[in-house]
Amino acid sequence: MMMMMMRTRPLKDEDGGRHPNPRTATKTMMERNERQQQEKEQEPPGRRFLRSRAMKKARKTRGEERNLGELCPKRRKRSRIMTRRETRKEKMRRIRTRKRRIKRQAGANVFSLHDLGCFLHAVLFIVLKQSMKVTEVHYRNINSSSSSSSSSDPDEESLSEGEIAALKEQVEEKKKLIATLRNKPWRMKKRLLLLKEAQDFVEKFEGALGKGKGRRLYAFKVMMTKKLIKFNRDFENFKTACIPWERKIKEVESHFGSSVASYFLFLRWMYGLNLVLFGFMFGLVVIPEVLMGLPYGSIPRKTVPRDEQDTAMDFSVLFDFGGYCKYSVLFYGFYNNERSIGLLQFKLPLSYLLTSVGVFGYSLLVVIRTYAKDQHAGRPLLGVQMKGMAYGCYFLRMARNANEGGDGGDEGEFIFSWKMFTSWDYLIGNPETADNKYASITTSFKESIVDEQENQKDENIHLRRFLRIFANLLILCSLGGSGYLIYYVVKRSQDFAKMDPKTLTWFENNEVEFVMSLLGLVCPPLFETIAELEDYHPRIALKWQLGRIFALFLGNLYTFLFALFDEVNEKLETEKSIKNATEWTLHQYYANYSSFYNTTSVPPPNVAPADVIRGPCWETGVGREFVKLIVSDVQVTFLTILVGDFLRAFIVRFLNYCWCWDLEAGFPSYGEFDISGNVLGLVFNQGMIWMGAFYAPGLVGMNVLRLLTSMYFQSWAVMACNVPHERVFKASRSNNFYMGLLLLVLFLSLLPVVYSMMTLSPSFDCGPFSGQEKMYDVVIDTIKAMPAFIGNIFTYVSNPGLIMPAILLMILAIYYLNTVSKAYQQANTDLKKKMQMARDDEKNRRNNKDSTNQMMKDLEDLLPNKSLAPTPVEEEKPLDIVIDKTRTKPGTAGKGVLVQKEDSLAAQNPRRPVTRAPGPRGGPPGNMRSPQPEPGRGRGQGAAQRR
Amino acid sequence: MGSRASTLLREEEIEEIKKETGFSHSQITRLYSRFTSLDKGENGTLSREDFQRIPELAINPLGDRIINAFFPEGEDQVNFKGFMRTLAHFRPIEDNEKNKNPPATEPLNSRTNKLLFAFRLYDLDRDDKISRDELLQVLRMMVGVNISDDQLGSIADRTIQEADTNGDSCISFQEFIKVLEKVDVEQKMSIRFLH
Repeated sequence: MMMMMMRTRPLKDEDGGRHPNPRTATKTMMERNERQQQEKEQEPPGRRFLRSRAMKKARKTRGEERNLGELCPKRRKRSRIMTRRETRKEKMRRIRTRKRRIKRQAGANVFSLHDLGCFLHAVLFIVLKQSMKVTEVHYRNINSSSSSSSSSDPDEESLSEGEIAALKEQVEEKKKLIATLRNKPWRMKKRLLLLKEAQDFVEKFEGALGKGKGRRLYAFKVMMTKKLIKFNRDFENFKTACIPWERKIKEVESHFGSSVASYFLFLRWMYGLNLVLFGFMFGLVVIPEVLMGLPYGSIPRKTVPRDEQDTAMDFSVLFDFGGYCKYSVLFYGFYNNERSIGLLQFKLPLSYLLTSVGVFGYSLLVVIRTYAKDQHAGRPLLGVQMKGMAYGCYFLRMARNANEGGDGGDEGEFIFSWKMFTSWDYLIGNPETADNKYASITTSFKESIVDEQENQKDENIHLRRFLRIFANLLILCSLGGSGYLIYYVVKRSQDFAKMDPKTLTWFENNEVEFVMSLLGLVCPPLFETIAELEDYHPRIALKWQLGRIFALFLGNLYTFLFALFDEVNEKLETEKSIKNATEWTLHQYYANYSSFYNTTSVPPPNVAPADVIRGPCWETGVGREFVKLIVSDVQVTFLTILVGDFLRAFIVRFLNYCWCWDLEAGFPSYGEFDISGNVLGLVFNQGMIWMGAFYAPGLVGMNVLRLLTSMYFQSWAVMACNVPHERVFKASRSNNFYMGLLLLVLFLSLLPVVYSMMTLSPSFDCGPFSGQEKMYDVVIDTIKAMPAFIGNIFTYVSNPGLIMPAILLMILAIYYLNTVSKAYQQANTDLKKKMQMARDDEKNRRNNKDSTNQMMKDLEDLLPNKSLAPTPVEEEKPLDIVIDKTRTKPGTAGKGVLVQKEDSLAAQNPRRPVTRAPGPRGGPPGNMRSPQPEPGRGRGQGAAQRR
Repeated sequence: MGSRASTLLREEEIEEIKKETGFSHSQITRLYSRFTSLDKGENGTLSREDFQRIPELAINPLGDRIINAFFPEGEDQVNFKGFMRTLAHFRPIEDNEKNKNPPATEPLNSRTNKLLFAFRLYDLDRDDKISRDELLQVLRMMVGVNISDDQLGSIADRTIQEADTNGDSCISFQEFIKVLEKVDVEQKMSIRFLH
């Protein structure tokens, strides 16, 4: 049974669910060793041999390489290349090993099922044969058959007669002790302790001896506890296995580090969020319309117009989301403005509006909550009262780990020492990962050297400044240029839209998307090149780079939006004229009809839905633009991965056999995973979903699909085509920065939607709000339809007299919280300062002592209970002292503590006088205390009071 | 495997180890079965080669140092007791241990002893001081030849400069403790042994 536990454990641990960051140096040092040991035990010897041979080989090659390298660096480089090639060859073998390991884990699962079966079997047995004395035997049989081990209860198995007798005696003794404990002259604490121990002991061994409540019950209880433990463990495993893509992400993490994995975690989180949004959108808007609304072709807005019908099923049109797609449930225009539909009287227009707002509300809520949770779990970021930064939470976590990893973090004191002593990750068992770790340690050292040099650098500051300004100018120019280009293209596309679509080429049709994607591809490398001019520190350069790409994306997006608004306004104009024309025609028709037939009951004009003249329906147009943008974005992303990563890796891998230089180590090499670009891409994608969801409810569903494929495709691509980062991505300082960016995106995507909801009037002949002046009229109508008192309440609430104070109150609350956080921050820094001062003080004291009195130190080292670490347990120390004091001399507590405390800072062991044999005063203690700042007081009173 | 372990290990020995290291009974038997599975020579002791078969140790730049820590000075075999004594450094500090009155001798898994273990990894010549040369050697193990000697030297100098408080240009154990004051050694240098 124990073997079972051991078998199932590695499964859980390899999932590593509980381990926040495997790269964290020295974390649970050597834990993996142990685990590996276990694993090794379970392997058949042949496989173990193979693996250990592989390890040895890897080790050997690296050893050689190191030796070679020490001789001459160039050869070292070559040998590294060779190793790399060899590593590729070994990859196949490793994959095989991995597969085998997975199989083994599967085997473990099977075993555990088997075990469960045994358990049930055992329970049945016990229930059925309760009267027979054989249960114990059965239990033992089952126990040994299921796992061939019962080493954990040796009390049961390996007890000889003598031992049993001894045990009996002990149990009796304990029982007696329990009975007579009351009369013992001991302290209560000791009594309680002894009582507990004795009771535990009796309970544990009484059953084993076949006495007390009985052997059977005992056996059953032991088994149950074990099964329970095992079940819990299995359940944990099961829970871990239930987390989607956990194993996939772990695999990526183990090969590429937590920074790359954080992107995938982010992606998964995004997927979860979108799934919920999808549920809202489809459950409350799309499905009701499909099930209960009018079918396709019943009214004009649900029908393809006559002149479009010929091409409505063409692939090119459908691919462009025209034709049947345009008049489908995917887009705003399809929805009917009937106030309530179906048997349930479902108020669809209201539901549409509320769901769209709810999507924003829910996103905001989740984002804030995730952020708050993460903040709570992590380092408290006092004073940072920014909400909605949950996107950054993964980076926060990452950064936190980076700090914990001993990169120095914000402790400027021991950067190099920490790097030196804590940088190796003792959990690494994979040679490739180890190589990466070597590289990362090297880089981190190099980075620190860079930091050092940066601090001491003094060079031509004017040239540097000039170059930086110049670079910024260049980047501003290119940003402006790209903005203008997009504006131009969008304008052009509006012109194209007026022309006959048949005369246009494919390029002219998709110019906007093409240009935007191209800009997204070209500009980041361009910025990076320009940034070389600036010669910033890499970390700062990364920030700048992120900021610039963000600005580019944002600029592009907003140019696109403004162009779209232009288009919308134009469409609104045409719509107005069409509306007037339609109304005029209708009016004419009614007038003619009534005058012709001389009746007031005029039937509606009998026109086929496809032939009705209709407005441009700007909402559907906007929705289509967004959908097209998303689709082209997906295409570009996937194509980039296919060409930029896969094809490149393919060429590098296979052309390497017949090429003049080494492709793997030389120029093209394998790609690295671009974390910042991908994260920004994901964030902007989400922004567009938020914006577009209102105009195209189907967009959310498409996005869910996109994220799903993205997950599989990218994790495959990263495992297959990319190599781990040469430089470990250090985001330790840029977390706030990320958060700022992400917050911006959230609000910027909210802005246009709310604006259009509030100010633009909806199309008159399509969408759920048609016929209304403003979209929010639906809500007002609903309120009016409610009982009068509710309407009254709303009137009161919307009264400016109430709203103004509410806003004021909110501002006050923000101000108050801000002040409080600032105060906390201030307190924080003050405390930090104090701690620093105390440390310095202590350092000085110790220095004095160390330099003046070496002998004293030696003496101290000889003491048995020496506590060499005085400060880490500082919280406990004063307590000890107080207790000591009150116990020995309650009268002089106040002053005594003070002196003692001072003493404890200077000397390391406050209890020293107790442990040492009483001797004549003076001598070493006096000597020791003499270099203190206040020798007179410290010597006289301190010594006197302590004795 | 388990039954063999329990037959080979006598009860008194277990008690003795229990007292010394603080491991529980089942932990000791379990670790003993691991010990025997590591023991390729099947002579009741482990050699350096046995340890080097553990991949984490094999690829660890400080692996040799860790292995060394298992062996008493001058010996190249370690028996089960010695093995357990070293492993006891990595036993987590349990909550009830903290509250209890400190025993007469410091347990092997105390913070100080954990730190001492780490310190010994760097203290190659066992003179209770980490000198610049020792730092350089360790650095060389850790970064290979990717960094020039000058730079390594400056790193070592900086490290000593940061950590050294008494001006002897060596890092003593006290200074080492000081450096790692903020590091959660109790947690990081603990292994979750199965119960």
